[in-house]
Amino acid sequence: MKKRVTRKKLILTAIVGGILLMLMVVVHTIMSSRQMISATDEAVSEVSSFYLEAMADRRSKTVTNLIDGNFDHMEKAVEFIEAQGIGSLEELRQTIGNIKSLLSLDRFALVDEDNIVYTRYTTYTGGSRHSFLSGGEMKDRKISTVSIYGSSKQLCLAAPTPGLKIAGKPYKACFVQIDFREIVDLLAFEDEGRTYFGLYNKNGENLSDTELGPYVSKHNLFEKMRGVIPEEEWNANHDNFTNAVDGSVSFTVNGVAETLCYVPVEETDWMMVVLIRESVIHDRIRGISEKSQKLSQNQIAFTLLFSAIFFVVLLLMFKDMSNRQLEEEKENTKAFRNMANTDSMTGVRNKHAYSDAEAYLNRQIRENEIEKLAVIVCDVNGLKHVNDTKGHAAGDQLIKDASAMICEHFVHGAVYRIGGDEFTVILKDKGYDTMQDVLGEINRVVEENIAKDEVVISIGYSTLTPEDKLLHDVFERADQMMYERKKQLKAMGAKTRSDS
Amino acid sequence: MKTYKGRLGTFLAAFLAALAVSSCSEAPQDSQTTDESVTEAAPGGVDASVKSAVDFDHELDPYQPKKDHYNFYFTYKTVHPWWDAVALGMEDAQRQYLDRGITVTYEYMAPEAASAEDQTARLRAAKDRDYDVIGVDVADEGVISPLLDELVDSGVKVMTFSSSDAAAGCKRIAYVGNTHNYEDGAELTEALCKKLDYRGKVAILVGSVGAPCHEDWARGAKDTIAKYEGMQIVATEYDMDSVSLAYELTLEILDEYPDLDGIICCNMSNPVGAARAVSEKGSSTVIVGMDHDQEALHYLKDGVIYCLGVQDCYSIGFDTIQIAVMIADGNKPGDLFPEKTDEATTVIYQEDAAIMLSLLYGDD
Repeated sequence: MKKRVTRKKLILTAIVGGILLMLMVVVHTIMSSRQMISATDEAVSEVSSFYLEAMADRRSKTVTNLIDGNFDHMEKAVEFIEAQGIGSLEELRQTIGNIKSLLSLDRFALVDEDNIVYTRYTTYTGGSRHSFLSGGEMKDRKISTVSIYGSSKQLCLAAPTPGLKIAGKPYKACFVQIDFREIVDLLAFEDEGRTYFGLYNKNGENLSDTELGPYVSKHNLFEKMRGVIPEEEWNANHDNFTNAVDGSVSFTVNGVAETLCYVPVEETDWMMVVLIRESVIHDRIRGISEKSQKLSQNQIAFTLLFSAIFFVVLLLMFKDMSNRQLEEEKENTKAFRNMANTDSMTGVRNKHAYSDAEAYLNRQIRENEIEKLAVIVCDVNGLKHVNDTKGHAAGDQLIKDASAMICEHFVHGAVYRIGGDEFTVILKDKGYDTMQDVLGEINRVVEENIAKDEVVISIGYSTLTPEDKLLHDVFERADQMMYERKKQLKAMGAKTRSDS
Repeated sequence: MKTYKGRLGTFLAAFLAALAVSSCSEAPQDSQTTDESVTEAAPGGVDASVKSAVDFDHELDPYQPKKDHYNFYFTYKTVHPWWDAVALGMEDAQRQYLDRGITVTYEYMAPEAASAEDQTARLRAAKDRDYDVIGVDVADEGVISPLLDELVDSGVKVMTFSSSDAAAGCKRIAYVGNTHNYEDGAELTEALCKKLDYRGKVAILVGSVGAPCHEDWARGAKDTIAKYEGMQIVATEYDMDSVSLAYELTLEILDEYPDLDGIICCNMSNPVGAARAVSEKGSSTVIVGMDHDQEALHYLKDGVIYCLGVQDCYSIGFDTIQIAVMIADGNKPGDLFPEKTDEATTVIYQEDAAIMLSLLYGDD
């Protein structure tokens, strides 16, 4: 058998469903947030490396450009010297001085075949001072790092000058020396000291004298990294330095995660190393993420709130609508019930209603729940006569008039039309108490109507006795009395069925 | 130059003491060195003297040069990093003069190998080139000193500088450099003897034949060894200021004397050569030597070399240019500058090596 969906069940289902829906949204939101944080963390490492690699690469290219630019200027300087027709040491010094002004080559110098170095102000034997002079004949450009006694390290760029002769004397090379401090200034970051860089040689020695973060500082990179990262990783990075291969390392010291990235500087033996604390990128990305997350949470909260309000309003509307439908159904039921229990002509209860009432009263009688009960049986006299002589419309009107008369008198009773011209009134309580008075009055009116040829009703009655088992027992006595009354009224001149 | 007045007093006292001694050719009396000139950074502690062993922070004296352009000629013993360090001090002074609007140009020349003949040729060539001052790091005092007198007699202003002065009585105007080579040699050897508990066989690597500083260091070493009965010099060799020759000589000495206890190195090159050989042989021979070669400092840091006498080359170079300018203006030693400007030597040990490497080469 199919269970009936009640209104209560429907509302309960809607509430539970709504709560579950909202819970799902909340849980999904929390899970999404957590996934976002996790994804952010994972992204940080990748972004760190990518970001650092880009920075290292950019700075590496800056150094390469500096080197290339200086070599270009050195080439121009040699061309300029050749074109001057220099005849003395003093003229050469003057020309080198002019080169400084013209080409911004601060420490431009020439070297003759005896390894004598010529600068703007000095001439010196440079075999031991400049390592590029120690290798015999110079065929190609040489880039070297020079540790200057008592000074910072310098980048030495040397180029051969084949065919260069000054005052008939062959010169084999020219060179410039660039202080690392100048290179560092060129590469300096402007990020409030959160990102660090350094130029390193292949064995991890810091050439630029720049701090690579608080831990590595200015020390040898590999000495500081030993024990901080696994040996295998240490070896791999060491090999990368030796073979001029770029790479990156992440490590944690004192709970601070740092990532460094290195790329080889073209044309040199150097590595450009850039280091950033992961927390910096992490904070930045997380900041963006949290902002986005917060916005998302607000949106979700707003959506949930809006959904809840909407849901409540919807429920209220649904409830109102259900109530209305229920009311309508009740009304309809009542109407149908009325229709089923009402005599359409007179408006009083019909035979069906009397049967319901009779069943109900029978139960009360059986259960001894009722004491004051009386049944009035009414029969309209002369209906056939009127139908036959005045038509059915007049007959119907007679029934209506009779019904109205009965209702007017038995105001405290239930009036039923149980046959064409038969009515029954059931009296309880007050109706029962006033029954005799009402009977006296209505019979008086009936008797007066005989002469006026108006509504005449034969009325019999009976009250419930302890012996009665059913209402019908009471009815039978009342019906019997009604027939007796009918005879009396006929005797008084009232029309009966036989008159037609 | 900041300490000239103090040094002048020391110098005068030493000079008076020297006058009281009949022979000025004997090393201990010949030297103008005072006890303050050689500083020892005692084993067991790194003190400020190590950091001040080389003074890179110089300022020119208030002396106002008379000309706006000076042109000098300097010649030294041999092409070698030691004199490159001197050159850096000279360049610092040159830049500071330039900042004052005074141009100083100079030539700073040396042969590939120490040679009195080569130096003689250079000086003769320079004589007629109208330099304001000719500066000489004397390759061989016996050969060069007379030539310097000749130059002075011909009107050339001559000074000596860096490692070696001319012979006593030479007419050169002034000397800027180490005035206590003998004491440096004695100081290093004393440290070696103490380390060996005054017993053992030692060898001496001198450097260039006739080079006053090398010879003085060696004499200081020999005299110190002679003080102790338990000490014995088994070999004395000239490496000609060459690392490779010093290496080969050390190998030969070690082959001949496998029980060699110590080596005294009397220039900048031979501590490196000796240390390479000792390391290669796995010998426990104790090495003492001179100067600041980067490789030697690493050997010191690693304990292969026991101690090094570091000279303040930078100050030698700086003061050389300053005094050359004064001499070019016709000034003589006196209140303005002393006849001998002493520059410090600091003996450093293993625990000082890292600081010195950092100080001199930025080598961390």
